[in-house]
Parts: sequence; C-alpha cells; structure tokens
Amino acid sequence: MLLDIRNLNVFYNEHWVIRDLNLSLERGQPAVIIGESGAGKTTLGLSILGLAGGKCTGEILLKGKNTLSLNEEELSNIRGKDIAMVFQNVEDALHPLYTISDQVAEAILIHNHENKRWAFDLACDLLNSVGLDYRHARAYPHQLSGGQKQRALIAMAIANNPDVLILDEPTASLDAPTKAAIISLLNTLQRDRAMLVITHDISIAAQLKNSIIIVLYGGRIIETGSAIQVLADPQHPYTRALLRSYPTLVMTKDLQGIPGRMEWEKQGCSFSNRCTQRTTACLETTPKLRHIHNRMVACHRGGIVPVLKLNFVSKSFCTHNVLKNVSLTLYHGETLAMVGKSGSGKTTLAKIIIGLLKPDAGEIWVNNQRIVERTLDFYHQVQLIFQNPKESFSYRMSILQAVKEPLDIENKLAEKEKHEQVRQVLSEVELPCNNSFLNKKINHLSGGEAQRVAIARALILKPQLLIADEATSSLDASVQAKILKLLLNIQEKRGLSMLLITHDIALARKVSDRIAVMLDGQLVEEGRTCDLVSNPKHEHTKCLLESSVFSQESSSHEDNFNPTETEVVISRS
Amino acid sequence: MHTISFKRTIKLNNTGCLGLIILLIIVILALAAPLFAKYDPHAYTGLIFQRPSAQFWMGTNDVGQDVWSNLLYGGRTSLIVGFGAATLGLLISVLIGCLAAFLGGIFDNVLMRLVDVILAIPPIVLILLIAAYLKPSMFILILLLSFFLWPSGARIVRAQVLLLKSSTHINAARTFGAGLFYLIWRHIIPEMGPILSVLLIQNARKAVFMEAGLSFLGVSDPAIISWGKMMQQALSFSYLDIWKWCLLPAGMALSLTITGLMLISFSLESVLNPRLQGRKDNDYVAGY
Repeated sequence: MLLDIRNLNVFYNEHWVIRDLNLSLERGQPAVIIGESGAGKTTLGLSILGLAGGKCTGEILLKGKNTLSLNEEELSNIRGKDIAMVFQNVEDALHPLYTISDQVAEAILIHNHENKRWAFDLACDLLNSVGLDYRHARAYPHQLSGGQKQRALIAMAIANNPDVLILDEPTASLDAPTKAAIISLLNTLQRDRAMLVITHDISIAAQLKNSIIIVLYGGRIIETGSAIQVLADPQHPYTRALLRSYPTLVMTKDLQGIPGRMEWEKQGCSFSNRCTQRTTACLETTPKLRHIHNRMVACHRGGIVPVLKLNFVSKSFCTHNVLKNVSLTLYHGETLAMVGKSGSGKTTLAKIIIGLLKPDAGEIWVNNQRIVERTLDFYHQVQLIFQNPKESFSYRMSILQAVKEPLDIENKLAEKEKHEQVRQVLSEVELPCNNSFLNKKINHLSGGEAQRVAIARALILKPQLLIADEATSSLDASVQAKILKLLLNIQEKRGLSMLLITHDIALARKVSDRIAVMLDGQLVEEGRTCDLVSNPKHEHTKCLLESSVFSQESSSHEDNFNPTETEVVISRS
Repeated sequence: MHTISFKRTIKLNNTGCLGLIILLIIVILALAAPLFAKYDPHAYTGLIFQRPSAQFWMGTNDVGQDVWSNLLYGGRTSLIVGFGAATLGLLISVLIGCLAAFLGGIFDNVLMRLVDVILAIPPIVLILLIAAYLKPSMFILILLLSFFLWPSGARIVRAQVLLLKSSTHINAARTFGAGLFYLIWRHIIPEMGPILSVLLIQNARKAVFMEAGLSFLGVSDPAIISWGKMMQQALSFSYLDIWKWCLLPAGMALSLTITGLMLISFSLESVLNPRLQGRKDNDYVAGY
C-alpha cells in the first residue's frame, strides 16, 4: 500500500470539510475523485501534501509513515520527491519570468543538489517525454498554450519521479484533442506510480486505464468502485444524477441537473436533502460505506432501490398469449421505455401493473412488496397516464373536479386542502390555477392541455412510479416535446420512476435511461439506451431502429443520428 | 360534446312541451286536491246519481260522493303508485344491472336468467293472483308493481354499464382506487342520466296503467280511492243512463295521464337519440 488514508477529517474553523475518509492508493491503479465543486476534492489533495489550511485529524500513511505527524521541514522533503501535485489553474502555477526548462530544472535541484547542467538536461528530457520539444522547453510560459503549460506542470511534478502523483483538474479548460493527449500521457505515467486525479470531468475516469472512481459528496465518500462498473451502473442516487448531468456523445437522454444544493454539516446522510428516495433514517444517521454488488456505497437504502419488479408475468386472452414470462426491474428515478410495435402486449402489461387486468401468472413487486390486492396505498405509489387524455376524463367534470377526483376517492382531506393541492399540481404542470380555469370543462381544452391535466391528476397522489401509456402519441410533435420535457422536469424534481410505453424508439432514445424492446409478448432485448441504440442485438430492435432512422431521413434532411457512428466513450477503458 | 341546454331543448320540442304541461296540471291538481275539491271524497253529499251541475261539477256517484273530489284524490293514488313503483323499479334495475355488469361471471348469469324468467311471466296474471290474495295496501302495491317493472330496465342498464365499464375515464377512476359504489354513483349514473330518465317515465306509464287495471278489477285495497275503481263502479250501473257521467271523468283522466307520460317519453327518446331527430333539431342536441 503506497498511500493509505485512514479516518481523515479536515476542519476549517470548526467547520468540517472532509469527514471520516478512508482511501488507499496503489501503483497502476489511478483513483479518480469526482464530485461537484465544493465537495472537498481539492482539500483532500492538499491535505495529503500537508498543505490544507485547516486542521487535519486521522492518518495519512505514505509508505507506512504518517505525514500528518511530520513537521514542516520533513514535509518539504517529501513534497515533490515522494508526493507531487499538479495544481489546478495552469495560468498561475508557472513563474512568468523563467523559461519552462529552468522551472522544471529548479524542481529537480531542490531535491538533488547535483550540477545545474545535468538538471537542465534532465528537465529537457522530461519535457520531451511529456511531448514538449526543445523549442518549447526554452520558451516562457506566456509563449505556450494551455495544454502545453499543463504538460509542463506535469513534467515538473514527475521531475523527481514521485511515487504518488496528485493531479487537480488536469484537463479543466482544455480542448478535447489536448485533453485526449494529456490523458494518454497520464496513462503512460500511471504505470509505475500511484495517481490521484481530482476532477469533475467524468470522462477522465472512463479513459484512465484500470482506474477506480471515488465519488465525493459533502466531504464523504459515497460510492467507490471500478470506473467501468460505476459509470455503467451507478448505485448511489448522487452518482447517477452526476452522470446524468454530464454530457457525453453516447448519452441520448437530455441532460438533467440535480435539484437543491449541497448542504454542509447536516445531520444524517449529506445527500439526503436532495435525494428523492430518502427515508427518515437518511435524515437521522450517516450511512456507512458498505459492499453492495461489486463496490462500496454509502446509502441507507442500499443504493438506488428498485421501484417495480415484474417476475415472469404472463397473460393470455382465450388462446392468444399476449404476455409470455415478462420480467423487468425499474429503479427509482429511472425512465424505462417499453418499445414495440402495436399488439406486442405493451398496454396489456401497463394494465396488469396498475391492476386493470389480472395476470395469469407471475409476480408484481412494488417497493419490495408483493402486490396481491390493490389498496389505496398502492395507487399512491403507482399511477397511469392514458393515451387519449380527453377520454380519460368524464366530460361532465370540470378541471377542478377531475383533478380532485383521486383525493375524493381517498376521502381523507378537507375540501379546502384538496383545492390547495389541486392548485399546487396544476402549477407544477405549468397550467393556470385561477378559478375560471378550474371551472372549465375538459372538452374545452386542447389535447396538450388535457394531457397536462391528466398528468396533474396522476401526480396529485404523489406516486413514485408513473406509467405513461403512449401518453404523447395523440399529440403533435411540438406539444409532445413540451409534455415530455415537463415529465422529465417532474422526474428530476420528484425523483419519479417512469415506465414509458411507446412505439417510437426515436422518442424513447431521447427520454429514457433504459429501453426494453417487446415483440409478441416477450421482452427480446433490454439495456441502457445508449448501448441498445448504438449496438442493437436483436433483429427486431435493428428493424425498429432502421425504420425510425429512415423516417427521420425522409421527413427532414437534418440527419444527425446514425447509431453506427456514435462512439462509445464511456464504456471504452 | 356539448352540454345540453335544457331550457332550449324543451322550448323547441312541442310534443315534450305538451306532455309536460298535461302532467304538470294533473300533478298540481292532485297535490292541491283539498283546495280544488269542495267535498270530502268519502263523504255522503245527500244526493246520488247527480248530473254535472254548478253544485257538483261532475255529478255524484251511487253512494252520493262528489265525482270531482274523487277524481282529484284518485289522481293522488295513481301518481303515487305510478311514480313510487317507477322509482323503486328503476333503483332495482340500476342496482341489479350494475352488479351484473361489474361482477360478471356466474353472478351476471344468474341475475340475467332471473330477468328472463320474470319477463316471461305475464305480469297481470301473477299480480292478480297475489293481489287477490293480499288485498294490498298502497305500499305493497308499489312493491308488487316495481317487482315486475325492474327486469327490462335491468337489462338496459346492464348493457349500458358493460359499454361504459371499459371506457377510459372509468378505468382512470379505478386507477385512483375507486370502489364499485363510487364508480356507480359518480360515473355510471351521471353517464346514464338520459337513459334512466326515459326508463323512469316509461316505468311510470306502465305502473299508472297497471294500478288502474288492478283497481278496475277490484283487487286493490277497497279503502283507496282510485280511477280504476271509479270506472268499475260506474260500469256496474250501466242500466242507468247516468252511468257515463261517472265513467268518463276517470277514464279521461287516466288517458290524459298516460298520454302525457307517453309524450314526454317519446320526446325524451327523440332528443336523446340523434337518429330519431329531424334536421331542424340537430344543432342543439349534438351532444349525443
């Protein structure tokens, strides 16, 4: 174990920035620390070098020696020699009045009091090895580009061949080709040293070989595991939210942010104020890192919980088998698109889940409870939006009555509270909530408005799972786009899980995290949207994709979608 | 779908208007009988077999009772029995029809076969038998009549509910956890309003007619004044030339009531069924 951090706590004026952090680094296995700005990433890097301004407790063992107990002189012997750090912000880190080679040579001379000539030659060799030739080596910082300065800084950091290299945002503000070059440089450097990369750029983690990801939130590690696994299948809600807000070429779904902001020194799980699957335990006690699947996750709920689980659900009408052993899992806050041509059993499945039809065989689990009898409690968890919004309302009802109906059935609240809730959900779906609108009849609304009212009605029970059965197929494209945006916004805000039933794979590609393809009552393919769209396995999926590509090309010439050309960046390692 | 403007619809429909007016007059006369009748219908006026005159507007009968008073109070019987039996019959129809449609399976089968059985029995024979045995009071008469009125209604209701049951907005209500009775009360009955109103009127027509028939045959409670009984009594004095003055008022009143109900039911049906409408009316009832 080259570097072992045990129970590290860092305080700035009694306010803690890092809490109970355990981390160990080895050669050839770079660790990438990701997290939002303010998560404590840089403080962690600085405290390893003994440069953090605050008070540190715990142990940082460098080859068995605790650096926290060293005095300033001993520390400066280690710095640069055993541990080196490449600081954030390349503009400030280089002295403007010295050439690059002089500055690298100086770093060598601090630890090796040999002759200057030798140091200078070594500096030039180092710069050469990071991709800067002699001309660049003799240049002043202002004559170099950002990427070149970054290389120079790396050369300076590895000048004394340190065992531990810490890089703080090594690729921030670099353009993509330069970034790729720096990353391949890091890949050659990481072979014989331990490396800690601090970044908010998730693609670095994906591109560094054999790397592990450490997700830092509020000064605590909340998820850590091999980069490939974490990126492909995040277990902590925060990690998934972070990945969702990070743009990649393969991600087809729209970017989603994380609602709320980071809070410090709060009781319980530090993410609990923004987490949509929190329970009371999350507000009270801090979760410990636990082994979940193939990694460590700090979450009371054991990572992202499955909201809906279907086990071998079958249904037949007379002799016709509509559903054959359908099994699927839908996780909290996830959008799963069920795609298939008409007659493939999609709507039957939706009706079975909500309870309008009874399955012949199979189990339905909602929030880890097997659903046998559907009580009011069930409908508080699962709601359905129908294909044709206007038909799903009694035309005798006013908007107020229609949206209020679920509460009337529940019959728990006073009339005034019900009205209050109606107004609340209506404003959530961006509809007016004045009296004249509330008293309108549904058939005086446009299709898009009616669907919004339908969504409001489904939301008033605060469900965790929303099944949208072709919810937008009766709307025109621009209204459809608005409704889907609205659904995604609500998902972001409420952490809703959505089962989106559609025949349109192009639409599914745009809004879903995962796609399940149905054919004749069977799930023939299921996977992450980006994987499934770029690399379909089943013939039917290919057929669906091809037909939708064709329809895009023929209807408009702005073809920007070609599944074979999209590059799989994240899963490449 | 448009909401129906009742005022306009009624104004534009002459048949319906006429029927309503007839029925209203009869209802008002029956309700306010003590105001319009000079004599107690049961009281002996001292004069028998009087022709209509200023003193006795419609004459007196064999036992010296004022025919006009009898007619008014007899109207009460007809209307109470008619609408009582109609409403009760309709309630049973709705209940049985909805249950059969919603529960389905064996339940549906048993109920519908029961309907078949009751429909197959000629009601007048059975009612005669039961009534002759019981000499029923007004309440039992209502029960008896409604028992024969509900089956045809139940069939219609069941068919409608089967249709409505699969409609999206009812499914939507079910996805909020709505129970059977909530669905029936809040969704099914409002949807079926027009059909139920036609059923009610038709039931009433049948019940008024059956009540008159029963009392004409003399099987109802003898203490009740009723149009049927007035006719029966008049007929037994056919050898006197006065008898028609006793018979005609009751006969006319009965015919008028039934005509009124017929007209209403006829116009309701045509309003509710667009295919029965003339072109002129199409614009204001396009809702159906």
